[in-house]
Amino acid sequence: MIWKRQIPILIVSVIGFLTLFGWFTDQPAMKSFIDDDATQWFDILASFAIFLGGFNLFKLQMQKIMKKQSGWEYSIFAIAGLLFAITAGFLYKGNPDIEWGTHVTGKGTLFKWMFNYMFAPMQATMFALLAFYVASASYRAFRIRNFEATLLLVSGIIIMIGRVPLGSNISSWFIMYLLVLLLGITINIVYKNKQYTAIAVCLGLIIVTTMGSSMNWPLDQPGIFYLPYLQEWIYKNPNVAGARSIMIGIGLGIFGTSVRYILGIERSYIGE
Amino acid sequence: MNMELIGVWIAVFLTLSIFSFLYKDNPFYKIAEHIFVGVSAGYWMSIFFWTQIQPNLFGRLWPSQNYTNDGLWYRIYDGLSVLSGNIFPSGGIDKGHDIDLIYIIPLGLGIMMLLSLYRPLNWMARWGIAYTVGMAAGLRAYGYLNSNVLGQVKGTIIPIAGTELPFFSLLGQSHFNNLIIFFGTLSGLLYFYFSKEHKGTFGKVTKIGIYFLMVSFGASFGFAVMGRISLLIGRFTDLLMYSQSEYHHASIWVLIIMVLLLAFSAYKDREDLPT
Amino acid sequence: MNSLVELILKLGKVDRRWIFLIIGVVVLLPLIYPISLPIRATATTKQAYDTIDNLKPNSNVLLSCEYGPSTKPEIHPMTTSVLRHLFRNGHKVYIVCLWADGLFMAEEALEEVAVNEFGLTYGVDYVLLGFRPGNEAVVKGIVSDIRKLYTIDARGTKVTEIPMMDGINKFEDFDFLFSASAGYPGTIEWVQFAVDVTNVQMTTGTTSIQVNEVMPYVQAGQLQGVLAGMPGAAEYEALIGVKGIGTSGMDAQSVAHLVIVLFIIFGNIGYFIERNRSKNSRGIN
Repeated sequence: MIWKRQIPILIVSVIGFLTLFGWFTDQPAMKSFIDDDATQWFDILASFAIFLGGFNLFKLQMQKIMKKQSGWEYSIFAIAGLLFAITAGFLYKGNPDIEWGTHVTGKGTLFKWMFNYMFAPMQATMFALLAFYVASASYRAFRIRNFEATLLLVSGIIIMIGRVPLGSNISSWFIMYLLVLLLGITINIVYKNKQYTAIAVCLGLIIVTTMGSSMNWPLDQPGIFYLPYLQEWIYKNPNVAGARSIMIGIGLGIFGTSVRYILGIERSYIGE
Repeated sequence: MNMELIGVWIAVFLTLSIFSFLYKDNPFYKIAEHIFVGVSAGYWMSIFFWTQIQPNLFGRLWPSQNYTNDGLWYRIYDGLSVLSGNIFPSGGIDKGHDIDLIYIIPLGLGIMMLLSLYRPLNWMARWGIAYTVGMAAGLRAYGYLNSNVLGQVKGTIIPIAGTELPFFSLLGQSHFNNLIIFFGTLSGLLYFYFSKEHKGTFGKVTKIGIYFLMVSFGASFGFAVMGRISLLIGRFTDLLMYSQSEYHHASIWVLIIMVLLLAFSAYKDREDLPT
Repeated sequence: MNSLVELILKLGKVDRRWIFLIIGVVVLLPLIYPISLPIRATATTKQAYDTIDNLKPNSNVLLSCEYGPSTKPEIHPMTTSVLRHLFRNGHKVYIVCLWADGLFMAEEALEEVAVNEFGLTYGVDYVLLGFRPGNEAVVKGIVSDIRKLYTIDARGTKVTEIPMMDGINKFEDFDFLFSASAGYPGTIEWVQFAVDVTNVQMTTGTTSIQVNEVMPYVQAGQLQGVLAGMPGAAEYEALIGVKGIGTSGMDAQSVAHLVIVLFIIFGNIGYFIERNRSKNSRGIN
């Protein structure tokens, strides 16, 4: 039917064209409508969408309780939470000196209490859980299977250590000794010759020790082995290059998709 | 009744309930999760209503400065005022607006969105959604093209020779660093060009592009770890604060009780296992 | 040697709940027993600091709060430090919020810094315009006509009655923007719809996760530096000389990062041992 399909597509096209050409027009009435009123309508509709979501939640949880589906007892808590928040938001201020509207941030209101002691702690904790899973993934899943994975992990490790105060306190000479050790391990794996390994490691140790003694062991020199400087270089140069290429690619993709929506080619918002 | 103290104990209970998921899925976690879902929905509804719908929509349809005792329009308002004096205070809504009846359009679209809860009418939400999609598409088409494409291309046009910059500098600008950025961006972009097979010289360049992308992903991983640990530090800081005597050692007591109950439940589960 | 190898392989298959416990202990202990490692500011933090420090006297600064309780540990210390810096230098601060939660965060920051520390006057030295929903449409609205979007502030006062709003009609009437951003909408929307279409400079503080997304803007000059996560907040606190939550969390952050790096190395050692074993057993067969 026309109002289920054609009219929504027409709305997207008209509003999309208007908004896009609003960037390029100076006609005052049109510019005022696009920049101000059209923007306000967008905000208002976004707010109604939140209400739609809230009512939907209520409907689904009530259905679960009434049909006694699996886990229905917990749905009671969801409904209780929703009703408590609605009460605090619309029915009971808790502080008679504050007007409706500003009670959402006003001191001493039930809404503020709910935010401080229920919403904020739960939201923060949900996100904080991820720290444990990141640590678990680091131990169990991150494997140096090929050169690309090695690059990924090495740059990640340098950033992780170099960006925190601990990294600033690790001497560049410690890193150089570590590299000499790694060189020894690599030579041992490749050549499987203990003599070569011993010579390489001893030579490396002598060179590093001589250099260090002559320079009086400065913490941050040579700069290329000082983790904070190294991570800064990685962060501002190769990292930016990679991130930028992704950004340009995504930017072109979003431009293309937006134009597809405006021209009515993409219709996923009506389920097609 | 000390509301702050009650609030602290509730906050600690909810926090530790969510953390208990790390042990395994359990009733404490499920209760906290469902409370979170309900409270979040109510929270967002209240915030969006009082910061947008009431002042900017109702405040433009029935502003107090145009309030009049004649006319149907404000009689409707008076009727609404009887229903809810909180939302529709008597004498109109005073938010500094002039009456602007064109805002009946977003009101209508909004009501259509809400009516879509009734299944036979759920197509009605499409009009409001279409408006938001159209506007977002128009905004993003320009915004991403200008800032993420043109702005970034401009930022990649940097000197790689012939200026007073040094050849290499670890911390400052240098020709070598600019060359890295230029070549890295180009090779990374070429990697995403799939209309040509990645072989020969082109394949070698795209391979280098992957290396730059891997360095970037590694940096993202490092930052992701950093971010998550920071959030955990924030929670632990709060829990430590709430373990002090002024809050009656809330964190410690709730932790002990929860651990005991979970341990008892684990013991019962083991006992109930068939031998 | 064999027993060591067996131990490493056994530890590689350990229940992940032991890893959770180790991480929990490793983060908790430095919070209880601080180490106080010195903090060194990175170049991007210094750039942000210098830009704010060099603002012309009595600047009108727009500060946008788009973060909530979930990202408060990373972003809130930045907001309070930047507010301290701005108020110390005598600038006027106008606060908007693209996130609803940002309103609460802004109120807290203003209470702590503007009211309790500096004793400033609302409406004269700082104003909280509040939250408006609509994401990038709000940014666009602020750029074109802020008074149409904000007819009242967050406390219900009409904008026409606020002294410091005189002469402020659109985004270009501000001298600088600082965005304390935890995601969408945030820094990127400000760059795309405000900074790139006007001449107003901007810097930002973001969560660690978002830093890589905004670094290209910093390199391209669209942003003047960036405060990257909790370390960035701690560095800014060190630069302005007032330690806060950012600094106190850095010890735990350092130790946790070290432990995770050790996990990665340890996990890979086990992986290589297993891989060599399976290669050798295939060679024998």
